[in-house]
Amino acid sequence: MSRTVVSAERLEKIVQTSAGELVILDGIDLEINKGETVAVVGASGSGKTTLLGILAGLDTATAGSVKLLDANLTDLDEEARALARGQHVGFVFQSFQLLASLTALENVMLPVELRGDTMAQSQARELLEKVGLADRLDHYPRQLSGGEQQRVAIARAFASNPTVLFADEPTGNLDTQTGELICQLLFDLNTEFGTTLVMVTHDLSLAARCGRTIAISGGRIVPSQLKEVAQ
Amino acid sequence: MNFKLVARMAWRDVRSGEMGLLLVALLVAVGTVTSISLFVDRLQSALLEESSNFLAADRQISSGQAIPEDFVLQAQQRGLGTAQTLVFPSMVFADDLNQLVSVKAVDATYPLRGELIVGSEPFKRGAPTDDVPEPGTVWLDSRLFPAMNLDLGDSIEVGMAKLTVARVLIAEPDRGGSIFDLGPRLLMNMQDVGATEVVQPGSRLSYRLLLSGDEVELEDLRGALPLEPDYKWVSVRESSPRIGRALDRAESFLLLGGLLGVLLAGIAVGLSAHRYAQRHFDHVGVLKTLGATPAQILRGFMSLLLLVGLAAIGLGLFLGSLLHVAIVEILATLIAVDLPLPTARPFLLGAATGLICALAFAMPAFIHLKNVAPMRVIRRDLGVAPLSRWLSYGAAAGGSLVLLVWYTKDLWLTLWTLVSIVSICLIFGTLAWGLLKGGRVAGMQAKSGWRLALAGLQRRRAENTAQILIFGVAIMLLLVMVLIRTALIDEWRSQVPEDAANHFVMNIAEDEVDGVRELVRERATEGEFLFPMINGRVVQVNDLSAKAWQETAGRNSDGPRLTSERSLTWSVRVPEDNEIAAGRWWSADSSEAEVSLEQGYAEDFDLGLGDRMEFDVGGRKVWATVTSIRSLEWESMTPNFFIILSPGALQGFPATYMTSFFLEPEEKVFLNTLLSRYPTITVIEIDALIAQVQKIVGQVSQAVELVLALVLLSGALVLVASIQASRDTRMAEHGLIRALGGTRALIGGSLTAEFLVLGTFAGIVAVFGAELVVAMLQMQVFRMEAEAHPWIWLLGPSAGALIITIVGLLGSRSLIDTPPMSVLRGLY
Repeated sequence: MSRTVVSAERLEKIVQTSAGELVILDGIDLEINKGETVAVVGASGSGKTTLLGILAGLDTATAGSVKLLDANLTDLDEEARALARGQHVGFVFQSFQLLASLTALENVMLPVELRGDTMAQSQARELLEKVGLADRLDHYPRQLSGGEQQRVAIARAFASNPTVLFADEPTGNLDTQTGELICQLLFDLNTEFGTTLVMVTHDLSLAARCGRTIAISGGRIVPSQLKEVAQ
Repeated sequence: MNFKLVARMAWRDVRSGEMGLLLVALLVAVGTVTSISLFVDRLQSALLEESSNFLAADRQISSGQAIPEDFVLQAQQRGLGTAQTLVFPSMVFADDLNQLVSVKAVDATYPLRGELIVGSEPFKRGAPTDDVPEPGTVWLDSRLFPAMNLDLGDSIEVGMAKLTVARVLIAEPDRGGSIFDLGPRLLMNMQDVGATEVVQPGSRLSYRLLLSGDEVELEDLRGALPLEPDYKWVSVRESSPRIGRALDRAESFLLLGGLLGVLLAGIAVGLSAHRYAQRHFDHVGVLKTLGATPAQILRGFMSLLLLVGLAAIGLGLFLGSLLHVAIVEILATLIAVDLPLPTARPFLLGAATGLICALAFAMPAFIHLKNVAPMRVIRRDLGVAPLSRWLSYGAAAGGSLVLLVWYTKDLWLTLWTLVSIVSICLIFGTLAWGLLKGGRVAGMQAKSGWRLALAGLQRRRAENTAQILIFGVAIMLLLVMVLIRTALIDEWRSQVPEDAANHFVMNIAEDEVDGVRELVRERATEGEFLFPMINGRVVQVNDLSAKAWQETAGRNSDGPRLTSERSLTWSVRVPEDNEIAAGRWWSADSSEAEVSLEQGYAEDFDLGLGDRMEFDVGGRKVWATVTSIRSLEWESMTPNFFIILSPGALQGFPATYMTSFFLEPEEKVFLNTLLSRYPTITVIEIDALIAQVQKIVGQVSQAVELVLALVLLSGALVLVASIQASRDTRMAEHGLIRALGGTRALIGGSLTAEFLVLGTFAGIVAVFGAELVVAMLQMQVFRMEAEAHPWIWLLGPSAGALIITIVGLLGSRSLIDTPPMSVLRGLY
């Protein structure tokens, strides 16, 4: 039975600028089910990254509601949203966002430690081995290549065994070949962990590998030219 | 976050240098306060002990009557040390020679503070001794030996007793305190006083009970004894107001130094905490996306701050103690007195400083971290809402207030300092903002270093205004310390110049004046004045008798009396150190009978310009009109007169004269020549007093210099912290310019220009501020006259520009050396 993991209803995001109100998201409705892989595509400034932030509970909407599993994120304060993120969500970012002062192993351990799990180290070690970095455990981010840093970030994203994984342009900072490898790794782990994947991307070939594509333009969902396959 | 995670984060931050500056700033705050207060604490006790030597005790009870046995018993019951002395003038005889001496009889416990220096040859250096003259023996001043043709072992007659000369008395601790002990000293044992039979009703006797011991017990004793009206309680501050005031001012200065040190260290802590927080915005963003709640972030960073704070306190206390030991070692040869053991207060103060600095200056920045939006992780352009200024500045001001009041125990000094600093920041902040705003140009102007720098200064107006103020306040505080120190030391030294007259000669008859002066000029340096002295009393004021005038003036009859006999003088010109406060001084050729009164005296007796006063001078009456009121420097070591008349009023009255001279210590025997040729004159020796004052001034000056050095260190730290704080923004901009083809020379030139401008502005702020604060401190706290310091007007801005540029360029080396690629990748 399919179960809705993330849903949004009449979602709006408006910010005040010196030139007046700027509407970034304008009445978004969507549902993403467990195990789906969804690509969010659109031109720069279309609002896709903002949408990702709100769906993941990183940001708040001006109006409308967002649900993550059973929690209505709109009703939660930052404290509760953080707990929800820690419990259910994993992230992969375009700029990797590893903590410079932590080694690869420590970066991967972090979400597990934040949950107070004592098995952090062994889990992290295992994940880093999975992403092919068994010999890089004690390296700091600055000692790793871009591809390696993103692999650490992917290992970290899966470390907390999330229900849903949000990825923001995960290959945006990488060359085609490395991007392809990272992408493969992401999908492989996603399958292995049975995670729901929501990915913002410019890369249409990457989007094509996802089960569904949501296209955004001017803050609204528009019919996608790519296939839409309901899982 | 659990403790292990926090501890690991702290360790990583320290190791990676992220926490380095904050830790060092806290360390310096704790270390500076601990070492200054340790040193001040011990030095204060030492100075107090040293100055107690003036009394040869901590307190004295003095009287013309014998000290009751009960006083001694009560003191001893309180565990206080006691000793008794009796001083009286007496004629002594050796063979057919005689001499007026000042006899001091002491008991076995004398002196309680300081030491007696004795020798076996007159006019030579002696050695300290714990003894007092044995019964049956006396110790004599060097110059009594040639004057009375005496050698050790000879006999001398004091009243009816015949005593043996046992030693040469070179110095006694409480000699300086009693200027009016006339004549050379003869020290004898108290047990022999009876045998001399000189203590008769009507004798001029000065009994003293010396006391030493616990301050609380001493004050308790003072309250318990029936002292008034016959017994006078004497403490150092009362007996030697000059020393007392020097000590008060030194104490204020040392505290002020500590206060400014704490402020500077606090600013450094605040700056480095803000930089630390800024560099952790992304870190927190990531933690939040991974599920860390704001409460967890807050708890985590607070624990981290506490951990670092505790480490800094522990290490700071240790380093502070080490530093203070080093200082004591270095100064051991200069500080002759033994430093007593420190109390616990300096350590408490150091620890509390660290804690309050961490809480008040660093905590707001750390609290702010919990507000970082997690969305920042994907949208770097999302800034972080600025830290609430109220929270940030309020906490800093509150923390400073608590710390400073506790430290100085002086709410007014603290409030004045804070109010001045805040006003200066407001005034100059607005000014700097306005100046930087002027001529805003588009683009980066990256063609020349200068234009690039100016464009940068204008673009980052807010940060630069803040930086100018921080630099300015740091330099200002340093200037304040330098100026106050210079003013204090100059004033102390001017009170007792190296060649200050150290002998007064009185009772010189009119026909002896030329002879005495000639003799003095041959062997010594003559003082600058020669005053006629005529004893007289006020008998009438306007239409009332002096007694009636005082009664109508509402003066308490217990106070000084208008009708008391006083030393009058006449003078053609205004004596040195006197200033006319009202009216005018008479012209040199005036034949009018005019009188000039000292301000306090005139106020005491309600006398003013135009009042007519009648004087009785040896039976002859003189009327004179008050034509001027003088203020005078009671601190100066010159004779001061309440009443000075015009030559027209007193010229022609029989007078004796007084003068002064400076005599080298090895020339002391000259006094015998002088006294044997003019036996009726009186010589008052104040050389011992002056030497002691000079010694104390020297010690206090050293302490002041030391505190200044420590404050300079805190100041340097603020400069480094402030430059570090702006490093990231500069790094990002300059990395980009270099990536786009800007040369290292261009970046170097731009940085130099930027720091030169910032430093000059800061110097100007500092000079204005320092003048203002110094004037206020001099008037309000140090009770000195305020004065401008034109020499800092050029020096301040130039030194500011130079120091900021050097420190700035040193701190920004990596801006030029880091490869642009690393800058763009954020790997710096």
